[in-house]
Amino acid sequence: MSISGKMQQEAVTPAAKAEMKPGGGNPPPGTTVRSSRRSRLAKQMFPYLLLLPTVGLLVTFCIYPLAQGLFMSLFRRGIVVTERVPATWPKFVGFDNFVAVFEDPEFLGVLARTVGFVVFAVPLVTIVSLLLALLLKKTFFGSGAVRAVVFFPAMISLLITGVVWKWLFGFNSGLINYVLSLVSIEPVPWLQDASMAQIAVVLVWVWANAGFYMMIIITGLTTIPEELYEAARIDAASPWRAFWRITLPLLKPTLSLVMILASVEAFKVYELVVSLTGGGPGRSTVYLIQTIYETAFRKPNAAGIAAAQSAILFVALLLLTIVQLRMSREKT
Amino acid sequence: MNRARYLRAPLIVLTLAMFLLPPLWLLASSLKSSKAIFAWPPQLLPTSPTLENFRAAISQDNFGLYFQNSLFVAVASAALSVLISLMAGYALAKFRFKGETVIFLIIMSALMIPLQIILIPIFIILKELHLLNTLWGLILAPAATPTGVFIMRQYIRSIPDSLLEAARIDGTPEWRIFLRIIVPLSIPAIAALAAFTFVWRWNDYLWPYLLITDQSKWTVQLALANNVGQWDINWPRLLAMSVLSVIPTLVLFISLQRYFMSGLLSGATKE
Repeated sequence: MSISGKMQQEAVTPAAKAEMKPGGGNPPPGTTVRSSRRSRLAKQMFPYLLLLPTVGLLVTFCIYPLAQGLFMSLFRRGIVVTERVPATWPKFVGFDNFVAVFEDPEFLGVLARTVGFVVFAVPLVTIVSLLLALLLKKTFFGSGAVRAVVFFPAMISLLITGVVWKWLFGFNSGLINYVLSLVSIEPVPWLQDASMAQIAVVLVWVWANAGFYMMIIITGLTTIPEELYEAARIDAASPWRAFWRITLPLLKPTLSLVMILASVEAFKVYELVVSLTGGGPGRSTVYLIQTIYETAFRKPNAAGIAAAQSAILFVALLLLTIVQLRMSREKT
Repeated sequence: MNRARYLRAPLIVLTLAMFLLPPLWLLASSLKSSKAIFAWPPQLLPTSPTLENFRAAISQDNFGLYFQNSLFVAVASAALSVLISLMAGYALAKFRFKGETVIFLIIMSALMIPLQIILIPIFIILKELHLLNTLWGLILAPAATPTGVFIMRQYIRSIPDSLLEAARIDGTPEWRIFLRIIVPLSIPAIAALAAFTFVWRWNDYLWPYLLITDQSKWTVQLALANNVGQWDINWPRLLAMSVLSVIPTLVLFISLQRYFMSGLLSGATKE
């Protein structure tokens, strides 16, 4: 399909090409193109009209808000949620909000915890999805169904995932502690103990996302030429060696893409926590997004501070995206 | 080598169990009586399955309305998102025009700006546009996605130029070329993006939580979170609600599974 498409593309004559692209090249002199000026203008405008809704919405709801958010971080102001509670007039404070954010021990705690979450969850989800991909890359009877089962958790809301696992993690009535009791292990306070709860969030997050990244890795695996493995087999190399010498190096771009995507996703961890732990016990599973939200909407006149917190998150994500772009450029 | 082959089957069974058991356990539990739900030792399968929990979930105030709201948001989002991504993807795949690089950069930069970090300004903008507390606010703000544009662009590139050229020589107006050639030929990409958008919007939580205060405009996720947040959780009802809320996703997933996978291959990004 793609090859024939390419050939057809190449077969197009330059004149036809100019004809095909409105605005690309003037008609050669002497030709009596009778298309009126208006219809030619309409033709030239066509791609812009096609792009208008997307660009308009992106500017309104993405680019302009980003600029406004960065601007807001320099002001002391609140958000008027209801008409009855007026916010004070925005007051320019320079970088005071950033100073305040970095002097706030609670925020620093949340930031450290979020980074910790990313540092634990991302390598774990990458390894798990790589193992799943290696296990399920070959087609066998029912392989599509098995892949779909593993992929499905990524399609349900993290809120539901949280509900299911909160139920499974139950202290006195949960299935997990029951299974543990069968092998005479004391019930584990999965969601009652601060550090156990953080581990639980990581585990459930990995469970929920692994299928998605597995699919990406399987795609990457299918691009590795089979001949390389055949050559390895002829050389009597062990599968283990083939994995380290062939699979892993050739899969590096895919794996780094997965790690970057997962990092961005992990920085935004929040929905899962709502239903799994509710941020508790205490405030031990409160992460960045929840803090930003609470600062903006629960504290008076703190929208500027929340904007500064968002700006810090933005810089972190921007760095990650730049790394991603670098790596995907290396790939091609 | 042989050893690895013998290990495969048990590993696959183990994987299946790990990913299949939690949802199945949810389903089984939702069919148990409230007494059996808390039975110790836990019953694996409901001894006397009952739909009582589902009745309790549905008879809750406005549960049908929340479902309707969620469906409206998800369907309208999918339709809108597909339409505008298709248009933009077509422009970027098949036209050369001034400012193409700038527009491409605008779309690319949106890729780096997740909704979560611009919550506050968007909240203010939606307030100024009088879209706060409306379902349209939930639909419009995230409608344009770079992911959608990229999926469409990739796909439309594979449509041969000669088809478009032939139509142009016949004097077909541009909008008709779009509707009669591009749209029908892009059905697989449309299905993939529509399915993904539906699922993303159906699952949204933070966004509606922020935007919607009026309870008559709640989505299913908000109703769910409200039940989770209660100090004393009504587990039988919550489990049944969870099962109900997954049904549309499950139906869509099973019927469009092929497209989900191919959409992943071309997009390779989650929103």
